[in-house]
Amino acid sequence: MKLTGNNNYFEDFEVGQVIRHSRGKTMCENDNVGITLQVLNTADAHFNEDAVKDSFGRRLQFGGVTISMIIGLSMQDTGENALQELGLDKIRLKTSVFHGDTLYAYSEVLAKSDLDGKSGEVRFKHWGINQNDDVVFEGERRVQIKKKSAFA
Amino acid sequence: MSEDSFRQRAILAKKGHKFEDFEEGQIYEHHWGRTITDADNSWFSTQTLSFNPLYFNEPYAQSLGHKKMVVNPLLVFNTAFGMSVEDLSEGGGLFLGVDGCEFKEAVHVGDTLTARSTVVSKRISKSNKQAGIVSWFTEGFNQNGTKVVEFTRTNFVRFGNPSAIVMGDA
Repeated sequence: MKLTGNNNYFEDFEVGQVIRHSRGKTMCENDNVGITLQVLNTADAHFNEDAVKDSFGRRLQFGGVTISMIIGLSMQDTGENALQELGLDKIRLKTSVFHGDTLYAYSEVLAKSDLDGKSGEVRFKHWGINQNDDVVFEGERRVQIKKKSAFA
Repeated sequence: MSEDSFRQRAILAKKGHKFEDFEEGQIYEHHWGRTITDADNSWFSTQTLSFNPLYFNEPYAQSLGHKKMVVNPLLVFNTAFGMSVEDLSEGGGLFLGVDGCEFKEAVHVGDTLTARSTVVSKRISKSNKQAGIVSWFTEGFNQNGTKVVEFTRTNFVRFGNPSAIVMGDA
């Protein structure tokens, strides 16, 4: 099956390479309220506008949604040919996100290593920024990616 | 009886815990559990632009040795996290970060997740008079009791009684 891109196999990544991902995503109720409640997160600062009118002033986006969205914005370029996501580390949420904010993602290849004949592990650093260029997210991610020699 | 007497008679069904409630080493078995459906997984993955067809194309997932579509690991992480919120962080305080998140085993659509957490550490921050900092180690399991995810999460957690907290030089 040829359903995935040809430029994001294990062999294609180079340590030190930095990628600016091309698409942004404006956060809306579907994203924050939808995913917060889908995953049974009961903290109502994420879905009760009245409760936060004197603190945040508006509903605060759940950090799990911000993490997922930044990794998602990077996914086609960094994980479309992944066999497996291995882990996340050093995740820091630096700036609060609200409905209407637009997020963009950047990635750097920190390391890569052979796993077996068919795949290798790539370690990325990801950054997420908002429409004002504030860093909202940074963190590392390890992914097991197909080798072109075995799959393409 | 006035028409809104129900409001005078009502007792708040409180939810969530405060900083003082946590003790290092304490374990919480979290509520509910969650079966991850096909719709959950496809919707979450496309909604977050998580474009790896393992998560929304069944024949593709099968071609890589899976019997069903793979549940997006970020949905596994978020579901274990979400189920932990009432016990750990609903009492208020910003979510600061996650360390050491490991995806231990693939989850497939139809699998059911549960979660538990252990209090790792709590400390008072000099700069925040309203909340301390707590870290928890959260583990997610499938219906067979196999661990599928683990991570350490750190939050500000509001003090129940800020005036009784000795700030010292912590």
